[in-house]
Amino acid sequence: MSATNLFLRKATGLVRSWSVFDAFVYAFFSINLVTLGLYIISQMWFFEGGLVPTLIISGIIILSECVVYAGLIAVMPRAGGDYVWQSRILGGGLGFVLAVTGWWFILWLWTPLYSDMLRHIFFVPLTAVLGMREAALWFASSSGSWMLVTVLMLVFVSVVIALGMKAYARVQKFSFWVGNAGLAIVCLFLLLGNNASFRNGLEANASKLFGAAPGVYDATIAAGQAAGAITPLFGGTLGVIFLAMPYIVFFNLWPNWGATLYGEVKGADDFRKNLKGMTYALGLTTVLAVVFFLLVNKTLTWDFMNNANAAYWNYRWGFTTEAPPLAAWPYPAMLAMFLTSSPILQFIVLLAMSFWFFGWAGTVFLSSTRVIFAAAFDRVLPERVASVEPRSRAPVWAMVLMVVPGLIVSYLYIYNTPVFGTGFASVTLASTLVIAVTYLGSTIAAILLPFVKKDLYNASPIAKYKVAGLPLISVAGVIFGAFLVFLLYQWFLDPNALYGIGLKNTASVIFMGAMYVLAIVIYVVATIVRRGQGINLGMVYKEIPAE
Amino acid sequence: MTRLFFATDVHGSEVCWRKFLNAAKFYRADVLVLGGDMTGKALVPITQFPDGTYKATLLQQEFILDDEDAVHDMERRVGSRGYYPFRVTPEQLAELEADPARVDAFFLDRTLNLLDQWMALADERLNGTGVRCYVCPGNDDSPATDEVIRGSSRVELAEGRAVELGEGFSMVSTGWSNLTPWRTFRELPEPELAAKIEGMIPAGATMSRSVFSFHCPPYGSGLDDAPEVDEEFNIRDAGRSLIPVGSTAVREAIERHQPLLALHGHIHEGKGVARLGKTLCINPGSAYEQGVLQGAIIELDIRKGIKSYSLTTG
Repeated sequence: MSATNLFLRKATGLVRSWSVFDAFVYAFFSINLVTLGLYIISQMWFFEGGLVPTLIISGIIILSECVVYAGLIAVMPRAGGDYVWQSRILGGGLGFVLAVTGWWFILWLWTPLYSDMLRHIFFVPLTAVLGMREAALWFASSSGSWMLVTVLMLVFVSVVIALGMKAYARVQKFSFWVGNAGLAIVCLFLLLGNNASFRNGLEANASKLFGAAPGVYDATIAAGQAAGAITPLFGGTLGVIFLAMPYIVFFNLWPNWGATLYGEVKGADDFRKNLKGMTYALGLTTVLAVVFFLLVNKTLTWDFMNNANAAYWNYRWGFTTEAPPLAAWPYPAMLAMFLTSSPILQFIVLLAMSFWFFGWAGTVFLSSTRVIFAAAFDRVLPERVASVEPRSRAPVWAMVLMVVPGLIVSYLYIYNTPVFGTGFASVTLASTLVIAVTYLGSTIAAILLPFVKKDLYNASPIAKYKVAGLPLISVAGVIFGAFLVFLLYQWFLDPNALYGIGLKNTASVIFMGAMYVLAIVIYVVATIVRRGQGINLGMVYKEIPAE
Repeated sequence: MTRLFFATDVHGSEVCWRKFLNAAKFYRADVLVLGGDMTGKALVPITQFPDGTYKATLLQQEFILDDEDAVHDMERRVGSRGYYPFRVTPEQLAELEADPARVDAFFLDRTLNLLDQWMALADERLNGTGVRCYVCPGNDDSPATDEVIRGSSRVELAEGRAVELGEGFSMVSTGWSNLTPWRTFRELPEPELAAKIEGMIPAGATMSRSVFSFHCPPYGSGLDDAPEVDEEFNIRDAGRSLIPVGSTAVREAIERHQPLLALHGHIHEGKGVARLGKTLCINPGSAYEQGVLQGAIIELDIRKGIKSYSLTTG
């Protein structure tokens, strides 16, 4: 029987395919275990739900997000992602407001969070193992150093983006291999080490690198217990496991992060490839996280790890004036490398581990620039913001719109500036909440897609996927949408006082409210200005009838 | 004021062509311009088996079709993506596979046949509207397409000449591109492309009222960023490695003559606008496979030049 299912003629752009592995790398870095994962898990020391079941169950639920986004990409592969889908399905105004708040404005808040991770996994441990104790302590605790790291990080990200996608893709792939090699060595140390040797290593290194007092292991556990550290590695009822999810999604809600870029990819409408790229990344990262913390438990012990996290954050959040016995963020990779006494090996492995950051950092603004471009092409934003510098091809104005407000928000966050009586540093999880609202908009668009854009949907490769006779994308959308509604309920109303960004937090409410007001104002002004220029923004989104 | 609607690279999508013709009324445009690459890239066999079922593969997904309605629906889906469906038995398919020349002839026949239907539809839809419609085949369109377009009473072939847009504005067009790895129908080395472009610009033309409709975008303008491919045509880095592939000849022509407006296509992912000196360059991109007609509405004003423009996804 003939195997031919397609005859192609010579035509521009007829390419073979793109590899699932390449898409996987981007998604894998977007739900980054070493940066996002370790950072937020370290803050989850006061939950009753076990870390491992929280990781696994949330990962399973987030598979529905992968289906939703792979489906949206397959039907409407456009650069601009959420903005384009929402504006075309839900309407221009709503699409603009939800997309720019989630993919642009809130990334300003991610700026100090990224730089906080950078200082803790790069500057602090590396200066420490190089014997620069004062510098390490300065990077670990000073707001000035954090601000400096923020500026350095913004320079790095700007350079990466200015170098272009081609260069960034290369940086990312290189970082993928180096970072994973580093993680493999860390895991090897954890696998071969034991708790006694870790205690000895911690005692020696904490004293040498950070000037810790003797007995740091026991003192850390005592400080953690005093803080109220309770999070178990396993166990907990389904109810308390779900209560841990509004925290864990800071880490694993992003396998779709490349969605705004997919419109630039030929063959992006291949549903299965997109789905594989995202689900493999989500699945492997979840497995990696579980294995990593099992190894941590074996050698460092989860009890020590969780107490060290509690001791650090309890002090940093200002709930105690007792400084933690270990004067640095308890970076698990650094703690694992205390199992060796070789500073050279420590330096090499920790440097390799820092590539988890460098391969990932570009994601903070890369997607944002695409959303800004898409809005400018629709004439909602001025043409200038989509312009690129002729020689370097850098999106200068789009970068300015990210970097300058990012610096201002970083200042507010790093110096914990009071906003109507509440410190601004308390708004951390707003970084995730606002994007979740954007995702909810796209999820609703996905649920409605088969019914409001019938031709588009029926012509797509996902039209054949059904569950109980209903479109798969709609079913997945209902599941993911329900999860998002649950998260938003917990964040906003916070009935158990676990997340601190709800309606009781004036800084959080004002910050998030201001962003939505800003987005609405921009859209209304753009509508008025464009109308004066003879441009009807509504027509930009409308579909021409074919008949 | 002249209101112009520009779209490009519909690549055989029936839906996009119908939308293009309707765009005049929808956007109240006086002039329609299609920038090239009208014809599709693939033939999709729908194979009939002795038991009466059919099989087709679309986007690497296999479909088993049980009845005539399902086959008809599949033909519509294939056609809406810009591919040419055809019914065939396994034996006929084997014969085609064994004879590439026959496939080429069959392909051309299907291409011209559909284009002929499109011209008839255009004649019907545009008749009596006063809307001028210019098309200029692109590098992917065989030379034979020109003759089919010339047969239309309402669609004008714009290749290689200056045409009037109204109110003193004129447009020169070419669908020829610089060399591509695919060696398509209308490609030239950069020096020859430069000479071709120079040859079609009328002496003494007022550039502040001129439009260049060149299928290939200017090199390094951002309108020409395409996914990098390797020697085997595999896309590198999941398509995130983008490189400029536009024409230096086109860029030089724009920079030298500084027309009011330059319209481009060719690179479907290159949607955007760029300014080269005084010239506004637009590539509306293409999403023909989804049946979405990406385009640009430009208002040309005798006093203001470009009064307004917007990119659309219709």
